Amino acid sequence: MIWEVFRQNQAGDYHTHCGNVHAPDREMALLFAEIQHGRRKPTNSLWVVPQDEIGEVDTEDAKFGGTTDKSYRFARTYNVEPAAEEVEASEKELNEAERKRGEA
Amino acid sequence: MAAADDVEFADTDDLDEAEQEAVQDLLFRLADDELVLAERYTEWQVRAPTLESDISMANIAQDELGHARLWYEVLKDFGYDETDLIWERDADDFRHSTLVEQPFEEGDWADAIVRAYLYDVAEDIQLHALENSTFEPIRDRVGKVLGEEDYHLEYATNWLKRLAADDEGRENVQDAVDRLYPYALTLFEPADEEVEATIVERGLRGEDLVELRDTWHDRVSDFLESIGIEVPGLDLPDQYDVHISPDELPEHLGRDGDHTDHWESLFDEMTEAYDELGRDYATHIMDDDE
Repeated sequence: MIWEVFRQNQAGDYHTHCGNVHAPDREMALLFAEIQHGRRKPTNSLWVVPQDEIGEVDTEDAKFGGTTDKSYRFARTYNVEPAAEEVEASEKELNEAERKRGEA
Repeated sequence: MAAADDVEFADTDDLDEAEQEAVQDLLFRLADDELVLAERYTEWQVRAPTLESDISMANIAQDELGHARLWYEVLKDFGYDETDLIWERDADDFRHSTLVEQPFEEGDWADAIVRAYLYDVAEDIQLHALENSTFEPIRDRVGKVLGEEDYHLEYATNWLKRLAADDEGRENVQDAVDRLYPYALTLFEPADEEVEATIVERGLRGEDLVELRDTWHDRVSDFLESIGIEVPGLDLPDQYDVHISPDELPEHLGRDGDHTDHWESLFDEMTEAYDELGRDYATHIMDDDE
């Protein structure tokens, strides 16, 4: 049985997927994960989740973000000089998203 | 036999001759057990039942090597260096229990787990008896070692429950217990009664070996019996407060430098590269901790 492992660097951070372990049950999955994924990097907490229990939707099934222009989701129409910090960040996020979509 | 409250040794300079001998004896027992056990554990590299259990075992071996280093570091204060302590030492001068030098039968995972369990419980009990040692350098290191031992115990007990869950596994565990139990008793054998008496009188260790062994036996048998494994009874010597070897001890105790033949070959293997390269001192790839 495969258990996906999620590691949290420090309290308050998100748990981020970092790999998996083979183990017959949760107890042993935790024991193995502790060594395999919590030993070399700073770790505050680990989650183990049975691989079968993870739900997935991917680009085959979904058009993430829709197919039409929805740039209004970003705060780009408020760009007066000097741009507020939040506006600048939002623009940067939009440009980055568009660039990545172009690459895909 | 409680230690006088005012006794306190900050470092080796505070020790008289008898105390020096006692502290060294204590340290050699601790360090050699860890070193040799780690050396045996590494034989499971790429041979454990699954990749994950393999990595866990290797990690435990690394922990034990780290603990050996902590204890050897204190011995350096007595004028030894790593070369004397390991590479140029006579095999007969090693003081580890004969439990840790026994070879594994190929694929006998139950042996590795039973051995780890018997050893880790003993280590846990012993470390707790050192938490208030009157010798500061020992006392200071106990917490660090104990911090890593919880995992070892959890790992061993977790595996034991699984192995004992069916007939075949239980039989393998029982065989390993029957075979290893006498060797495990040597963990609690003194090399020299007088030195052991000094260890306890000066409060270097909080409890004597008989007390440690009793605590160990109770804990080990409670758990093993709970998973359907029989544990040999402990025939106590007539004079309960005197340390007399029970009849069931194996021929070689290890603590006095008298080892089984397996140690000689393991030691040769451990020092093979050092010998073949014609070394006469230990090389370091890392800076010392301190």
